[in-house]
Amino acid sequence: MFSQIKLLLFVFTILGVGGGYMYVKNLQAENEILTLNNQKLTDAVDEQQAVIEQQLADIEQIQNINADLNKINKGLEKDLQILDEKYNKINASGQRRDVGDLALNKPRSVELIMNKYNKDNNRCIAIASGEPLTEEEINATRKSQANSVCPDLANPNYIPY
Amino acid sequence: MRDTVIEVLKSHFGNDRDINDNTHMMDDLGGDELDILDVIVQVESALDISIPEQETFDVRLVSELLEVVGRHVQSD
Repeated sequence: MFSQIKLLLFVFTILGVGGGYMYVKNLQAENEILTLNNQKLTDAVDEQQAVIEQQLADIEQIQNINADLNKINKGLEKDLQILDEKYNKINASGQRRDVGDLALNKPRSVELIMNKYNKDNNRCIAIASGEPLTEEEINATRKSQANSVCPDLANPNYIPY
Repeated sequence: MRDTVIEVLKSHFGNDRDINDNTHMMDDLGGDELDILDVIVQVESALDISIPEQETFDVRLVSELLEVVGRHVQSD
């Protein structure tokens, strides 16, 4: 009887130890899985953080490009306005000159005038790049002698009309 | 014909402008090459004439304009 109780106690002890061992092993396995999952989440968060930082950098770059484009656009609008005032200016009677109409009526004349403007424009670029003024440019005092695009630059003795 | 040309010039550059044969349309009236071309087109329209382009390339003085226009008013 006593030996049966001892045997039972022994069996219960073995079962308890075995169960505890299994429980701990199970916990360790779950812990490993949790650790792995946690690592994966940490990696995912890091990746997302990197993506967010890249997106912020991209947004900043896009904003800078937009700002540059806006500046260029404003410059072009100003240039367009200057060209519009130059080519389609309003006469003393309030009538707006239409270069398109003139080009239809007198194509060769308009072509020659535009060629002269182009030549004057190229000369302006050359002067701005450091080419010295010619005697003719220095001595120009009348509008018909002056550079039509950049008289301020090309003709120091010309007082604009 | 002369009156019409002067009228077009005054309408284009200003009624208060002193315009005579020796007036330079760029140096004295402040116009540019396109203004001169515009004036020529207006004169053609006012007098119902047509002036070949090559005859007007070098027109700068009012006298030169009158001369070119005069040739075509007589011949048209």
